[in-house]
Amino acid sequence: MPILALHSYLVYPTKANEEPPKIGGTALAQSGQLFDLLRSVYDKSETECDIDIAFNPDAEGKQKNSCRDLFVAYLSKPGLPLGRKLAEKLQAVTTGRSGLGLLFLMAGKEGKKHKLVVSRFPADSGILAEQSQEELTVEFIEKIFMKSATSYKAALYADASLSSGFWDGKAVDKQINHGLTVVSEYWIKSFLESDFKLTAAAGTKRLAHAIRAAIRRTESLPIKEELVALARLAPNSKNKRLSVSSLAKKHLSPEAIDALKTEMPNSRCFTEQFTFSEREFEKHIAFESLELDNGAILMAPSGTFKKVFDEIPIKDSDGRSRFSTEAKVIDRRLRKTKT
Amino acid sequence: MSELRIAYENRYEEILTPLAMRLEAFVQAQLSDVSRIVRITARAKNIERFVAKAAKEIDGKAKYDDPLHQIQDQLGVRVITFYLTDIDRVSAEAKTYFTSVEEKLIVPDSEREFDYVGKHFIMFLPNEVFRDDIDPDSAPKFFELQIKTLFQHAWAEANHDLGYKPSSELSKQQRRQIAFTAAQAWGADMIFDQLHCSIGQ
Repeated sequence: MPILALHSYLVYPTKANEEPPKIGGTALAQSGQLFDLLRSVYDKSETECDIDIAFNPDAEGKQKNSCRDLFVAYLSKPGLPLGRKLAEKLQAVTTGRSGLGLLFLMAGKEGKKHKLVVSRFPADSGILAEQSQEELTVEFIEKIFMKSATSYKAALYADASLSSGFWDGKAVDKQINHGLTVVSEYWIKSFLESDFKLTAAAGTKRLAHAIRAAIRRTESLPIKEELVALARLAPNSKNKRLSVSSLAKKHLSPEAIDALKTEMPNSRCFTEQFTFSEREFEKHIAFESLELDNGAILMAPSGTFKKVFDEIPIKDSDGRSRFSTEAKVIDRRLRKTKT
Repeated sequence: MSELRIAYENRYEEILTPLAMRLEAFVQAQLSDVSRIVRITARAKNIERFVAKAAKEIDGKAKYDDPLHQIQDQLGVRVITFYLTDIDRVSAEAKTYFTSVEEKLIVPDSEREFDYVGKHFIMFLPNEVFRDDIDPDSAPKFFELQIKTLFQHAWAEANHDLGYKPSSELSKQQRRQIAFTAAQAWGADMIFDQLHCSIGQ
C-alpha cells in the first residue's frame, strides 16, 4: 500500500482585517521517524476516521463542490502548488479559536483505488527536557504539533474513479461532542464543504425502528425492559453524534446489544454515525405501553411514562407490582384489539 | 459482445436487480407517512439503455470513459404524486432521509416548448439495502430519484417508447403530436393543481 506523495503546510488562522501569512509548504521524505508517524496515520485512517461524510452539491444543486475539485486535482497530480490551494482553503476558514495547525496531505494508491488522507495537527506548546551527565536543561517550546486527543482532525477519501467518485469519505473530529460544535464544524462543514452522509432523520428512524422491532421480537422481559429504558434515555442524546452501536454499548447488556444488532440489515447500519434528532425519535417512539397479567394495558407518552405511573413492587409476590396514577378522565373508548 | 455489456449484464443480474427491489421497499417505508403519493417504484436500468447511454458522444468524443462508475442512474426510483404542489413537499421529505449530490428540475429549454419535465435527484444508496450477499464496493454508490405527477409520469412512459428511441426518426408532424401531448399533460397538471388548491386539501 504505497504512499505516493506527502506534503505539509503550516496554516495560520485568518484574523479579521489582516492579510493572512503566505503558506509555503514542503514535500516530505518517505523515510525517517516523521514518515513512520504519518504512515501510521495513513494506514490507520480506515479505522480512525469513523464519521461518514459527503460533499455538498453547490448552491444551485449541481454536482459540483470546490473542495472536492481541489482534492481530485491534487490526486491527479500530487504536488506542492496544488496542495497549497487546499492549505489556503483551510486557512480561509480557520479562525483564532482553532489556532495554528499543521496540515498533512498523504496521497496513495491501493489496488484500483486512489486514496487521500488529509490531517490537521493542532499547535501546542511544551517543555523540552535534556539531561546531560552534569545538568538538566529545560526549555519552553512553541509550535509543537501533536495528534492530540481533543482537537485532531482528519479525513479519508478512497475511490477508483477520479472523475465520478470521491463524493463521500470518512472523517474524524475529536472536538465533536465535546461541547465545541461551532469550532469543530469548520473542519467538516466549512473546509470540507461536507455534511454527515447519514441524515439525522434517517439515522434516528433506524435506531427507533430497531428498538421497537427488538422489543417485539424478544421474549425476554429483562431485555425488553433494557430496550425500553434505552428508549427513555435516548432523547438525552439530542443533537449529539452517535451510532446505534455506541448508544447500545453505553447502556445495554451484551444480550440486549445482540437483540438490537439483529434488527440491523448489516453491520454498517449498526456502526454508522448520525446526529440524534429528538423530533424524529418522538415520531416513531411516541408511546410506551405495559401489559399486565390481569389484562390491564398501561400506556403513556414514552418520555413521561415513569412519571405518569408509579410502580411499587409487592414483597414476596413473585414479581407482582402495584401500579397507580392520579389524573382526570378526558376520554373513554372501546377497541376491537388491544394495540 | 463488448466487455462492458457482459460486465453490465452480470451486474444487472447479481447486484442491481436485488438492490432495486430492496430500494423500492426502503423508499416506500421512508415515505410511508407522506400523503398523496400514488406509487413508488424502483428499477435497475435496462441493459440496452445502459449500453446506449455508455456509448453516447459529445463533440465526437465518448462522454463516459468509465461508464460502470460514471453512470449514476443504474438504479432509479420514481415517486408519483397527485399534484404539482406535492412535488416540493415530497422532495423536502425525501431530502430529510436521503443525501443528495445533485438536485435538478428538468424543464423544456424554451417556454414555447412542451417536453419532458420532472424533479430529479442523484442520491447515495442507503446502507439498508445491502445484505451479506452484495459487496457495497461492487455496487453503484448512487441512485436516481425522480418525483413526478401522474400526468408527467404517464407522458414520460409513453414518450420513452414512442419518441425517445424510435426504430426510425420521427417526422416533424409526429414530433409536434408528441409536443401536443406534453402540453396536454402540462395543462392537466396545472388545472388539477389549481382545483386542488382552491377546493382545499
